[in-house]
Amino acid sequence: MALNQSLKGKEYQEVSFPVERDRVVQFADAIGENDPIYRDPEAAKAAGFEDQIAPPTFVTVMQIMTSGQVVLDQELGLNYALVVHGEQEYEWRRPVKVGDVLSGTPRIADIYAKGPNEFLVIEAEIKDASGETVVVARSTLLSRGTAGS
Amino acid sequence: MTTTVRFEDLTVGQEIPSRSKVVRREEVKAYADASGDQNPLHQDDNFARSVGFPGIIGHGMFSMAHLTSTLTSWLGDPAALKSISVQFRAVVYMDETLVAKAQVTGLDPSTRRATLSVWAEVDRAGERQMVIKNGRAEVELA
Repeated sequence: MALNQSLKGKEYQEVSFPVERDRVVQFADAIGENDPIYRDPEAAKAAGFEDQIAPPTFVTVMQIMTSGQVVLDQELGLNYALVVHGEQEYEWRRPVKVGDVLSGTPRIADIYAKGPNEFLVIEAEIKDASGETVVVARSTLLSRGTAGS
Repeated sequence: MTTTVRFEDLTVGQEIPSRSKVVRREEVKAYADASGDQNPLHQDDNFARSVGFPGIIGHGMFSMAHLTSTLTSWLGDPAALKSISVQFRAVVYMDETLVAKAQVTGLDPSTRRATLSVWAEVDRAGERQMVIKNGRAEVELA
């Protein structure tokens, strides 16, 4: 079934995400990132950061939390078994650090067909507690073979 | 923190040091737990076979994390990485060697920013498979 085009522009519920030290270390471990600025607050401070920082793609953790609402939206008609991650984009304004309380509201930025496939673009501007943008994340999911169906 | 690479050190066409990583099953499992992406395609061989793969595949974001680490370790300052956009093309199977690469494509002296073409590849039976293709990154240098 083709995706519901009328959901273009739809905004979902805001998700709040406190950045915890252990979660950052777990993520650094999983990606094999050994730089002490991702593990040790003192090393991060010595490098000029306020606290232990997160590797740039740590924001993926929050994105996976937030995008659940979109991919499971019954109105959208996405069959997750047909989905592959097609594209990913990040624009960082500053590194994410431990103690940040991030919030983001995912929205459907675009839905379009190309050949037999459909593309769903989910965008979220992730902000800190003071309302400053920390990172803009844009994911394109590819729904295989659902165009024109 | 400042970058260990200086703007003046770069020239268009220059390649940055590539980094290789053998993709292990236990790392992909650790990534699933750390990221929250528990799709069975990355954990369950039977499921992966049922959708046409010979076994589990790595997360696209796992490959992107390796590419991003390659850039930030070269830069010497993660805050210098301003943006990245990539396309996921080929999949990665377990025990394959993922190689992240980048090449300088543009330099703007007024902002001290460089643009790079970035990608990640595996060699599969003598053929190069582009895991991450058409990637572009922007970095700001000391």
